[in-house]
Amino acid sequence: MTNGVIYLDYAATSPVDPAVIEAMTACLGPDGAFANAASPHAAGAAAKAVIEVARARVGALVGAAGDRLVFTAGATEANNLALKGMFPAGPRAGNEASAGHLVTSAIEHRSVLDTAAALEAAGVAVTRVGCDANGIVSPARIASAITPGTRLVSVMLVNNEIGSLQDIEAIAAVCRDAGVPLHVDAAQGAGKVPLDIEGWGIDLCSLTAHKLNGPKGIGALYVRPGLSLSPLIHGGEAALGVRAGTLPTHQIVGFGKAFEIAAARNEAAGLARLRDRLWEGLAGIEDVRRQGDPARSAPHILSVSFPGVEGESLRLALADIAVSAGSACTSNEPEPSHVLRSLGLSDALAESSLRFGVGRFTTGAEIDTAAERVGTEVSRLRAVARGAPDWCRA
Amino acid sequence: MEYSSEVRRRFPAPARAGSIPPDAGTTVTAAAEDQSLRFWVRFQVELEGPRIGRVRFRAFGCPHGLAAADLVAAELEGKPVDAMTAIDLEDLASRIGLPREKHGKLLRIEDALAECHRQAVARKDE
Repeated sequence: MTNGVIYLDYAATSPVDPAVIEAMTACLGPDGAFANAASPHAAGAAAKAVIEVARARVGALVGAAGDRLVFTAGATEANNLALKGMFPAGPRAGNEASAGHLVTSAIEHRSVLDTAAALEAAGVAVTRVGCDANGIVSPARIASAITPGTRLVSVMLVNNEIGSLQDIEAIAAVCRDAGVPLHVDAAQGAGKVPLDIEGWGIDLCSLTAHKLNGPKGIGALYVRPGLSLSPLIHGGEAALGVRAGTLPTHQIVGFGKAFEIAAARNEAAGLARLRDRLWEGLAGIEDVRRQGDPARSAPHILSVSFPGVEGESLRLALADIAVSAGSACTSNEPEPSHVLRSLGLSDALAESSLRFGVGRFTTGAEIDTAAERVGTEVSRLRAVARGAPDWCRA
Repeated sequence: MEYSSEVRRRFPAPARAGSIPPDAGTTVTAAAEDQSLRFWVRFQVELEGPRIGRVRFRAFGCPHGLAAADLVAAELEGKPVDAMTAIDLEDLASRIGLPREKHGKLLRIEDALAECHRQAVARKDE
């Protein structure tokens, strides 16, 4: 419990592990590695050294060489860098096709979709490949979308709203055969599902710390050797030539420590048990629907719809449980989730959906209490609405 | 979203949500809805001569809508039948703390009660 609230929104963010806090704090004070890692003196070298250790820890969890990681302010910046870096300029005069073509999916995170929309406004052709009813993007459909002008394919590893797990290994093979670089947004999946960036031939990969019990405000973009990206942020020496700025030593150390802990704990099976326990508790509620295929889902996310229950009322009724409606980035918007719409859910079902996310500090008792509370409030709200017309349930 | 104290008090346990028992006296029932606002409400009003007896409602909608229906139902009890057509919507919106974009839900509450009143008058004239 956090502040009297059962926290089941680990897909939005996670509490920082105490060991991570300790490692970060050690960097901050006069006796810590507080210096600028770019400085030529011994203090700078000390900061650089701890950063390199952290870099290696991040890379080790995701199958990537640490020195190919460009640290960013998070996965949103990493996604922006990946897409905008591959499409640096608009079309040449009189040649619309010269702006290039981007293939992505319709269920990506808003940081990818909104960046794609911005590129589209600047002249880049964008194809948004749909998903099936379980939120799975077909590698064959990706292959069909690729044209001679395609410069980048961008597909997320795990969907942040419903947890659907994409076959990135197969999509990477499609892209390799077509000679097109692949960007993977792994913000939600790293440390929870298998990921082997270099083994699978992924060219660009976005990572973040805060979904894996690390600090907010730090992420990374993996960049394959030989791939040229245009920078977003200029200003002196830039990491791999694409991202300037003083490295936040404490953030990076926290990033590395979080990923080291995740690798050692290997929590996927435990998270899946918690998620499944929650689903067992919810499945007893009359007419409840689960989004996604459990066999192709990340272990920590559960998306459920409650027909006949108005979404805002359900969320207020469950104010003692921290959950999301849609994604954290979209839950304050009145529009139904673009992901749930892509699955084919009606607006009513989409609005009655909740996303649960379990994590390291979630307990079985919290799961059981949450399931009971959800059942109670769903029943209560349905009773208040008894006799409502069919459109309330459709 | 921030909610008024009225919503926070009424929404968890709306005292007037439900139905009037079948063995009650004369009752009138009417519903109204607005799919674009995702709101449906049905009022059941018990008539005790020229006055309103018990008022109960069912509703599908946001916390503001449910709280507004509960507040109106509570305040109509014991009033003259004509009170069903004298709802001060601005005052209701203010007391509920209703965001401007949701004011249409109050119009549906008004519509349902207007129909209840029409039925009540028709019964009286029979």
